[in-house]
Amino acid sequence: MNPLNAFIAFILAIVSSMLIDNVVLSRFYGICPFLGVSKKVKSSLGMGIAVVFVIVMASLICYPLFELLKLAKIEFMDTVAYILVIASLVQLVGLFIKKFSPSLYKSLGIYLPLITTNCAVLGVVQSNTDQGLTFLMSLANAIGTSVGFLIIIVVFSCIRARLETANTPKAFKGLPIALITAALMALALMGLQGLFSGIQL
Amino acid sequence: MSQVGYLVLAISILVALLAVFIVSFILYVRQPVPKGCENIKINDENCSSCNHKECKFYKGEGE
Amino acid sequence: MAREKGFTKKNFLKGIIAENPLFVSILGTCPALATTKSLEAAIGMGLLFTFVLICSSVLVSLLRKIISEEIRTPAYIVIIATFVTIVKMFSNAFLPELYSTLGVFISLIVVNCIVLGRAEAYASKNGVFDSFIDALGMGVGYTLAIILMAFFRELLGTGGFTIGAVFPIVKEPLTLQIIPEDYAISMFQMPAGAFIVFGIILAVLAFIKNRKEELKAAQARAEKIRKAEEAKKAAAAAQAKATVEGGNK
Repeated sequence: MNPLNAFIAFILAIVSSMLIDNVVLSRFYGICPFLGVSKKVKSSLGMGIAVVFVIVMASLICYPLFELLKLAKIEFMDTVAYILVIASLVQLVGLFIKKFSPSLYKSLGIYLPLITTNCAVLGVVQSNTDQGLTFLMSLANAIGTSVGFLIIIVVFSCIRARLETANTPKAFKGLPIALITAALMALALMGLQGLFSGIQL
Repeated sequence: MSQVGYLVLAISILVALLAVFIVSFILYVRQPVPKGCENIKINDENCSSCNHKECKFYKGEGE
Repeated sequence: MAREKGFTKKNFLKGIIAENPLFVSILGTCPALATTKSLEAAIGMGLLFTFVLICSSVLVSLLRKIISEEIRTPAYIVIIATFVTIVKMFSNAFLPELYSTLGVFISLIVVNCIVLGRAEAYASKNGVFDSFIDALGMGVGYTLAIILMAFFRELLGTGGFTIGAVFPIVKEPLTLQIIPEDYAISMFQMPAGAFIVFGIILAVLAFIKNRKEELKAAQARAEKIRKAEEAKKAAAAAQAKATVEGGNK
């Protein structure tokens, strides 16, 4: 594959995992933070940025790690290895922030422990190796997925802030109407399906 | 490589990962919270629907 | 240990109804939405999940005095990940269809908030038997919840149920058509349908809860009015008695 085609494939993979196959709305990773995190744009932005960082770092580390596991013939231990990497990564990021940037800690600190149990992180890393993607493609998948997560939770926090004041039936107040809204968003994103199916490299 | 070699390699990889995790975890816990962040408060309205038990703002079961 | 009668039963049932992990605590939503396309996949997911939950709860409870406070969370994560690996290998070997249907969501049991939540909130503080019952209740509650979701999604999405596609109980997958295929709404098989079904179930539950609260409030109000009236009557009677007595003097 020549470099230009590889680059185009990289970009297409990012866009497709960001929008067409969005993490939250079509792959169902990270629903808990999506529904739970907040109705405030600022805090969901903070959470999203931290998730982007952790996902990209984790997939960068886990690709060589899987090769190492293959070398030792313990591929079946991949889940254990990945969760250890992700959890230590989250702790190290937290340590770094605590030590060097109090202002960042103020806005991000409370979300850090939640990233470990965010399925999006483990989900991306695990599906990268399950599908046997190349290094470049797993990087593209990681970037696309995490940025897609960031976009969706920021958009959704705006929608939920608006929903607070909306006149919904009493039974639908809160989570139910949020889920119906998510369904409508999923339907909207489904319209993008097959966008790149005509492109051949 | 012999069977034993594989076993040693496998165990050493996992132990190394575990050690890194535990060390980073303990370092994180022992690192003091920076000044001015001792008691960050979350607005109750913003925290109503979250159920993460590991969040230190988790208010307990029920309503 | 002294305990009230029926504690075990209550402990078991609370996971199914009062503290249902999916519908009341809204935990473990990712697999609940992703693996409920078909009834069988949901049953398989529920079984695997319950197994992991029970095993990790029992082990955490057994080790609760050995694991030091400081490294609790790492230890729990490693324990859970170990059982998930066992489940993954088991399903890969004996139920390959289930393995390929659930895919990455078997691995994602590791980060399921319910398992870690139960380990931290219950198993780390209680005895082995209680933790076992608690985990069993939570697991069954979660399984029933995702089966309910899968029931609606498969029925509305394909118009019937397929048996034997995931579990090798019959030679050929058997389809039980209830609604004619032309009338099936395929949206319910898609991601959007999962959100809608989950949202509507939560809304129905909220409706029932609101109704109950309203009934209770109405009852309390009626009780209050009745009591007030009684008190008034009593006061009036006392007054009448007093006037009569006063007149007699």
